[in-house]
Amino acid sequence: MVARIAGVFDEKLTEAIANSKILVVGAGGIGCEILKNLVLTGFPQIEIIDLDTIDVSNLNRQFLFHKEHVGKSKAQVAKDSALSFNPNVNIVAHHDSVISNDYGVSYFKQFNIVMNALDNRVARNHVNRMCLAANVPLIETGTAGYAGQVELIKKGLTQCYECQPKAPQKTFPGCTIRNTPSEPIHCIVWAKHLFNQLFGEEDPDQDVSPDTEDPEAAGTAGKTALSSQQTESGNIERKSTRTWAAETNYNPEKLFTKLFGDDIKYLLSMENLWKKRRPPTPLSWDNLPGKGDAPKQHSGLPDQRVWSVNECAEVFAASCQALQTELKGRPEGDHLVWDKDDKSAMDFVTACANIRAYIFSIPLKSRFEVKSMAGNIIPAIATANAIVAGLAVLRAQGILKGEIESCTSVYLRPKVNHRGQLFVPERTLTAPNPKCYVCAPKPEVALVCNLKHLTLKDLTAAFKDGLNMQAPDATVEGKGLVVLSSEPGETDHNNQKTLEEIGLNDGCALLVDDFLQNYEVRVRLQQEDEENSWRLVTDTDAPMPGPKEEEPANGSNGAEEPKPGPSRTHHDSDSDMEIIDEDDNGEPMEKPPKRRRKEVSDEIVEIC
Amino acid sequence: MASPSPKSPEQSEKNKQYDRQLRLWGDHGQTALENGHICLINATALGTEILKSIVLPGVGAVTIVDDNIVSDEDIGSNFFLECSSKNLNRGSEALRLIIELNPAVQGYAVQEPTDQILLDNPDFFKKFSVVIATSLSEKTIQTLSNHLWEINVPFILCRSVGFLGSFRIQLKEHAIVESHPDNEQHDLRLDVPFQTLFDYLNSFDIDSLDLKDHGHIPWIVILYKAVQKWKISNSNRWPMSRKEKNEIKAIIDQYKRLDDNGMPIYEENFEEALRAVNTALTPTFLPVKIQELLYSSSAINLTKESSPFWIMCSALRTFVEAEGKGKLPVRGTLPDMTASTDHYVTLQNIYRNQAAIDSEIVYRKVQEIVTQLHCDHISESEVKLFCRHAHDLHLIKGSSIVGEYQFNNTVSSYIARFLEEPDVMMVHYILLRAAEMFRSEHCRAPGEWEPESDISKLKTCVSKLLTDISCTPFPKDDHIHEMCRYGGAEIHSVSAFLGGCVAHEAIKIVTKQYKPVNNTFIYDGASTNTATFTF
Repeated sequence: MVARIAGVFDEKLTEAIANSKILVVGAGGIGCEILKNLVLTGFPQIEIIDLDTIDVSNLNRQFLFHKEHVGKSKAQVAKDSALSFNPNVNIVAHHDSVISNDYGVSYFKQFNIVMNALDNRVARNHVNRMCLAANVPLIETGTAGYAGQVELIKKGLTQCYECQPKAPQKTFPGCTIRNTPSEPIHCIVWAKHLFNQLFGEEDPDQDVSPDTEDPEAAGTAGKTALSSQQTESGNIERKSTRTWAAETNYNPEKLFTKLFGDDIKYLLSMENLWKKRRPPTPLSWDNLPGKGDAPKQHSGLPDQRVWSVNECAEVFAASCQALQTELKGRPEGDHLVWDKDDKSAMDFVTACANIRAYIFSIPLKSRFEVKSMAGNIIPAIATANAIVAGLAVLRAQGILKGEIESCTSVYLRPKVNHRGQLFVPERTLTAPNPKCYVCAPKPEVALVCNLKHLTLKDLTAAFKDGLNMQAPDATVEGKGLVVLSSEPGETDHNNQKTLEEIGLNDGCALLVDDFLQNYEVRVRLQQEDEENSWRLVTDTDAPMPGPKEEEPANGSNGAEEPKPGPSRTHHDSDSDMEIIDEDDNGEPMEKPPKRRRKEVSDEIVEIC
Repeated sequence: MASPSPKSPEQSEKNKQYDRQLRLWGDHGQTALENGHICLINATALGTEILKSIVLPGVGAVTIVDDNIVSDEDIGSNFFLECSSKNLNRGSEALRLIIELNPAVQGYAVQEPTDQILLDNPDFFKKFSVVIATSLSEKTIQTLSNHLWEINVPFILCRSVGFLGSFRIQLKEHAIVESHPDNEQHDLRLDVPFQTLFDYLNSFDIDSLDLKDHGHIPWIVILYKAVQKWKISNSNRWPMSRKEKNEIKAIIDQYKRLDDNGMPIYEENFEEALRAVNTALTPTFLPVKIQELLYSSSAINLTKESSPFWIMCSALRTFVEAEGKGKLPVRGTLPDMTASTDHYVTLQNIYRNQAAIDSEIVYRKVQEIVTQLHCDHISESEVKLFCRHAHDLHLIKGSSIVGEYQFNNTVSSYIARFLEEPDVMMVHYILLRAAEMFRSEHCRAPGEWEPESDISKLKTCVSKLLTDISCTPFPKDDHIHEMCRYGGAEIHSVSAFLGGCVAHEAIKIVTKQYKPVNNTFIYDGASTNTATFTF
């Protein structure tokens, strides 16, 4: 180990390394590299945590894993591989989520440095808060394709991860998804919702049937259609899609007829929607475009060929059956979790999205492209991870040496910039944002909502999705009245009451805290009659995370899940950075239009 | 009902494994990588870190040339050596462990010294896509780089000493077809529409369409119509100035439909047309850079040894002079736009078909040349790709490392200019060179045995170098002290970082996509400063 054999490091650094204890959060692309670098630099005590297991698509960069490790715990295998080349290091592996009561502030306090090698914003926010609370320096890393970054976060000295609110996720209004899709992504989101309706965790916000409440469709046309439609086919009334599908034994033909025939006919009856739009064309199972065609020749990978509608229907049928079998094999009440790397799940979404796209004259996409968009895939390569991890460990050395002031952020650019730099370091540390709603001495934020409509349940969602809290408690400032409690059941009976009903009014302030995160923020309520949901406003002008209307599947770049899924998040990128150059996707395939027939959807966005 | 047979294409294991990188460089990039053969000279920590990031994404083959025996220091700093490797050949041991990362990669180890290979079998190096070398002696650097320059094999020379690292890329001639420019101009030909496009554009009558169809006219058509109208009252000229373009915008505004209150109805396609006025009206022309390429002597005086790139350039030149009427082949891609699917697909096919016709002509010309010269076949897909990117072809003509080592006039004045500033990164370059000189004079790294007495010896080396480029000595010795303190040791994180950088560049060279660093990169891990220089 260099730290032991040579006088390369001065004594102070050598000693600091020998007495250090480091936590690495994430054992993915960057995590593997960081672990190797730490071990070879002579760091004696390391803990590594990751809840994920190894997937084949990790092997192109996560070099501590080999084929035989697929399916095993990343943290454990990373530890074993690292120990095999240096058995003298003390490595503790946790196959666990870092967002857990087991890793509280006192856990974080035992480390000299925490190094983040995460792939999602939720976990990053959480570790950011834990490190602020424990006052431990955090080295935050990320890559996307050829780009990458390393930054230091230290309470009171630098910006924290949340000082500059990140751009909110792109979301789609429910009626665009359910009634008037105009882009491939709308169909893909719909197909993912359909998956959950049929096989996954049912979520009432993910309804896939026509939305009769669509304000744009207001008028009598829809209502008359509703009554006439009901007599024609009994499937339109509000029956859970899952129940209905189970009753038909997931018969592909019946499912198809309802989803792509009857539901579309119903939409057509909402005439207001089609005044300025091209109306959709219902399909019938027996007469599908592309039937009888010889399979098309395609020079690229089979995955990159766009299927005909008939092929989509065949894949739809086959994947429906496969998923049904899988669902039946599970214990009663359990459900499937959509995973882009699961063959049937991905087939199902590709097929459904494309059939729907055809119906609405939206360009069809290959399975490869749908996977990118549905899975929020960010390209990831070994080289960028190696570079970023190398920088991160050098930064760790700088901190231990007591030169924290020199540990400025560094950005790796995809290509040399106009000043001849491939790496752009900041000149100085960036001071904390005094108005940050997380790391300011007395953090504060305004919640704009209509107190007459917003329920306590919505309020909980606002704190969880908007403020990224795990288990919020809220009391009224000055009165001590408990509005929300993280104790199960304690305030549940109030869930459906509006804020006004429990006596909260414009301008009153709540003290909201998350015990695990050791984080408290003062939330001022601000009445606005026009606000249908809620939004958070800080004194900075930057946008804040908003309500989660729809899955944020906004194409291949720069997005991540808004919250950890019920059982696990399945991500496969090493970052959620915003410095992404869309053109860096290379030109692996013809770039078909992303957005055609955009129509006038902008107007609807506001109304919904 | 008969249950339809599932036809979903099973993704191959390989494509699953490489999924995340295919999205960056595409299938053909992956194919190029899989046909690549990388040679690494010396399996130091830096060397193996580089190789790791090339083996993981699936390069075709790697060869390690190393005649060293594994020492304790090697095991300490090199991830790809085990305790049991001690006293065995370093290259063979490292190779064994690196290949474990990706069984698809072929691996070879050669235990002969590089100098010996250069003497006995210089053709050995011809088969490589890139040769990468770490910790070479001054003398070997010059012989090897000279040889690789002559046989036109890309060479990356790397160093990692203490907190300092560097790499130098030597490319005699490197052609990049896919340079991935930041802002690719669209190739729409509105000023010189080819026949099918002309017919299509003129088949529209904007005013007679009903509102729904009006909102689905592709903006290209709107823009074209507006310009045609403008040309009538402007002696058939093409709008160039800002003022003229504003007049075009005014015409587009007139096309908009009005609602019952006489207000223009918002239609996305018309907004797109307005936005496109500034960019899409640039006249179609042959870029000077491309013209220079097509008329360079390599493209004109072809021989049997000419590379496919020059043969395609030559074919392209004859196309431009004849069928192309002074223009490059149509690129065939269409930007996103608001339009009905029918319109969009028709328009897309018009551009695509013309692109196919143009590239077909170029391909035929290529075939003629190939037959004439009796050289290797060039595939149609290669020509297609070349034509599609004909607007952004890029050629790097590099400089030789020998010239840099001998401090020819250009190099000396270049370095001197940076040292006057004074540029600390150039000081690091001098120190890396001085450490190399020290090693060839004393057969060890400065500071390896006696840090104190080595300081003055290293200082002598620095002075020699500075005299060669007619520069005054450094005012302070702190950098010299620092270098002696390193004792030639590699810091793993510096090597890991630099290894990623070098692999990055090697992949750009092998896939012939993206422009690599031209040509020297210096890194100081203590300050995290980096710099690029062009020697």
